[in-house]
Amino acid sequence: MNQNNPRLGWLFTSPYLIYSLVFFLGPLIWSFYLAFTNWDLIAPTYEFVGFDNFLKALKSPGVQSAFWVTYKFMIVFVPLVIVMSMAVAVLVHGLPKFRSVFLIGFFLPYLSSGVVSSLIVKGFLSYNSPLNETLRRLGVDINWLGSPWAALLVVGAIMAWKFTGYYALILTSGLAGIDKEVYEAAAIDGVSNRQRFWKITLPLMYPAIYTTLILAFGVTFGIFTEVYQLTGGGPNYATNTWQMEIFSQAFKNLQAGYASAIALLASLATFISIFIIRKLLEVWGKRNGWV
Amino acid sequence: MKKRYPVLLALSLAITLLSACSTGQGAKSAAGDDGKGASGKVTIEFWAAPNPTQQAFWQEMAKAYEAENGNVKINVSAIKESPSSEASIQAAIAGGSAPTISENINRGFAAQLANSKALVPLETLPGYDEVLSSRHMKDTIEPWKFADGHQYVLPIYSNAMLFGWRSDILQELGYAEPPKTYSEVLELTGKLKAKYPDKYLWAKADLADPTAWKRWFDFFMLYNAASGGNKFVEGSSFIGDEKAGVATLQFLDDLRQAKGLLAQNVTDPFETGVSVFTDLGPWTFTNWAEKFPEMKYGENFTLSMPPVPDGLDPGASKTFADTKGLVIYASASKEQQEAAMNFIKWVYSSPENDAKWFEQTKLPPARDDLSTNESFKAILDASPELKPYAENVPNAVPPMDNPKFNELQTFIGQEALNKVVRGEIDPQTGWSNLKKAIEGELQ
Amino acid sequence: MVGSNRNRKIRLSVRYAIAVVLLLVMVYPYLYMVLNSLADWSQVDRKLIPDAFTLKSYQWLFLGGETGVTRPWIGSFLNSIVVSLLSTALMMAFGVMVAYALSKLRFRGRDTVNNFILFHMFFPAIILLIPSFLIVQKLGWYDTYWALIIPKGVSLWAVFMYTNFFKAVPDAFIEAAKLDGARDFQILYKIMLPMSKSITSVIFLFLLMERWTELLWDMIMVRSDHMLTLNVLLSQMFGPYGTYPGPLYAGSVLLSLPIIILFILFGKKFQEGMQFTLK
Repeated sequence: MNQNNPRLGWLFTSPYLIYSLVFFLGPLIWSFYLAFTNWDLIAPTYEFVGFDNFLKALKSPGVQSAFWVTYKFMIVFVPLVIVMSMAVAVLVHGLPKFRSVFLIGFFLPYLSSGVVSSLIVKGFLSYNSPLNETLRRLGVDINWLGSPWAALLVVGAIMAWKFTGYYALILTSGLAGIDKEVYEAAAIDGVSNRQRFWKITLPLMYPAIYTTLILAFGVTFGIFTEVYQLTGGGPNYATNTWQMEIFSQAFKNLQAGYASAIALLASLATFISIFIIRKLLEVWGKRNGWV
Repeated sequence: MKKRYPVLLALSLAITLLSACSTGQGAKSAAGDDGKGASGKVTIEFWAAPNPTQQAFWQEMAKAYEAENGNVKINVSAIKESPSSEASIQAAIAGGSAPTISENINRGFAAQLANSKALVPLETLPGYDEVLSSRHMKDTIEPWKFADGHQYVLPIYSNAMLFGWRSDILQELGYAEPPKTYSEVLELTGKLKAKYPDKYLWAKADLADPTAWKRWFDFFMLYNAASGGNKFVEGSSFIGDEKAGVATLQFLDDLRQAKGLLAQNVTDPFETGVSVFTDLGPWTFTNWAEKFPEMKYGENFTLSMPPVPDGLDPGASKTFADTKGLVIYASASKEQQEAAMNFIKWVYSSPENDAKWFEQTKLPPARDDLSTNESFKAILDASPELKPYAENVPNAVPPMDNPKFNELQTFIGQEALNKVVRGEIDPQTGWSNLKKAIEGELQ
Repeated sequence: MVGSNRNRKIRLSVRYAIAVVLLLVMVYPYLYMVLNSLADWSQVDRKLIPDAFTLKSYQWLFLGGETGVTRPWIGSFLNSIVVSLLSTALMMAFGVMVAYALSKLRFRGRDTVNNFILFHMFFPAIILLIPSFLIVQKLGWYDTYWALIIPKGVSLWAVFMYTNFFKAVPDAFIEAAKLDGARDFQILYKIMLPMSKSITSVIFLFLLMERWTELLWDMIMVRSDHMLTLNVLLSQMFGPYGTYPGPLYAGSVLLSLPIIILFILFGKKFQEGMQFTLK
């Protein structure tokens, strides 16, 4: 029973409408336009270069790496953060007291600035840090930020550290929604622990897990701060994310046109990937009859 | 009450559209760009290098100048150095609010800025000739003339980049003075690793980083020595000396194979003795005075020119000249530009200020009389570690003045040096790739 | 029976022990940061738990080192506060207004707006980075507070959250208020907002935290020393002219502490709100 009130409706939505005009639609159209120019952000004149920027981008190692690095981060980050947050959620859920104290404690990393966590990690992983000196004494010598997979792992681990508490919070509310009686009934039927997890917990938790997974996949498309501070996209493009590539081209090399073309490609890749991931997750849920 | 909603809506829309249309003008007024306040005071904005000592010097100068000239206000601030001071300046220009004047400009970057018409030719401003004569820099300025015949940069300092050696550790290994040729350095690396497997010759994460300016402090130091001062790029053609280039990369490759290079993050490797060799600029000494007072010239560290390939005369070694200067931006108003020039004229009217600069920043002033003027001699005598920096200025090759220096130097790292250091490519291939990339970019 | 009770107790204490250890591991980086900010400079990043302490890092931060040049730490701290609070306030206010319109007012075009917001929400934001920079410049906002506040003044996520929440509020409440002669603004402030306290604290904390730790935007939009936010200033301090890790850690403490304190103060409310929003 909503009230019909167009004037007020438009007035209340006007802040958003103006905003989206100036900071969404405007930039969007401008971006398409720029992508076909060779403008350098400073010069008073520029030329139209057709699809040159796109062709150059598709051939450039920076863009190709950005495409793959996103999925590499998924491989590292998503399983790590899901396992960690699930562990925290299950652990905390089983505590009769101080549950919220723990949840708040685990949430604290989410408040960290990427600049700060990068600084800490940089110091912690430097060659002569206590950690590496101990490792060397044990015969392990790792160039953490200098070898491609290690660097990927380090950045993925920082992200997982940051998001674990947040996702655990989502998952605990999923756990809280499961009726105790269901478990009791299962116990009477003699269901084993493993079966209990696959047959009861997982299906009932599916909505919470789905949310968490979508959020986690989304994160991998927007990694910037940690990479910018720690590796600059290196070594040899191993951690060069879309954001990093676009930033470097636009604001380090001042190739506004070229960077806009990359941004369009990045959006396309992101759009398609997210769409496929959502579909796969839904199919997975439906197959198992969880939805 | 209700009637006012559409009015409000229309109004806010109108304001947004209006301000959206007032192209660029807003930026200027927001930055107070005509530089004149209500009181007729000229405000100029001075961007200093991110080096704290340089910033301190310019702040002091600005204050002293303001005290004498009531109608000028000088705001000194440091250029943001992330991602690089060059990128910060470009972004400010793109944002429509460049400063009036800034230091820390190398020749390549000046060429790039001049190409996009962002700089004022200094000789067009009154007072420029006076600066040249009162600061005794007629000879020093000569190589700074640009291809179009204009002078865009006033060089402030010029110092030869040197390598530092941990003489205390060298002594333990039986060396009274640093090795001078590639094979001697390799031999030392072998002895070092035999005695201290955890120590390295050179520990520097930058060796694996493609950022353009980082090549000044590794590649060009060694390459200039190996090539006897070859210019690498002249005008718009690549004239790199293949033999010297490959030798330089080969040297790094040999060091890597001898486990002498550590291209990862290390906290103060040279100061803590993780490495015995490092590129060293004179600005480091201020940092040491504060953080590592135990670092003493002649006691635990010494300085040398870059090592040379076997068969070359180490006495004729060349190095990289770290030399930077001041520019005045075209986007500033005429009054601001002239006020800025007057300020510079005032600063350089007395050698005392240059002496103060030298003393505080440790960077040798770019003037013809550096070695003859008494006020500089006294400083050099008081701090012997600065002497080699000043003495070797004639043996130091300034950076390339190509407007594409950023892309070109990025290629040196990306295509060759970084890969060699990581052991992904052999020196000869690295050099060929580098050459191909640079020639492609220069076309 | 007694045995199983004891077993249960043991199992529970093991559980608590694991939880405590895990929690310590997770908050250790913060601890490391605080300890390093207070550690003697020869021990920064060299010891897991430093044993010599000094306030030199904080002194350096606020009074400058040998050269006496201070970076604008206090100013940028205040900038961060002003920018974050104002941005967040705008995001909240606009979020509530738009959500109210979308959930409780009927007008032609509402569905279009609704769909458009969803489209906008799922649009990758990076594509807009360069043109947004140019628009900010054209508006004359480059290097001003406007650039840091207004373009970051609308959160689609806040709109989305509030819309979902308001939809769940029965229309009967509004009808009753209408009969009492309340206007829409009053309904919004007197009924809807008080009802959404817990979700408001969640939205507020998330938005504030995100704004407080933003790097890319704040780095691009501003160039002057006196305009920097604390996060950007901190990111600028890794430099070629000798780094000072001690003071960097001190700066990190300055950046992290306020948001952590705020969160702990609001912690209970926040958690309630979270449980509510996740239902």
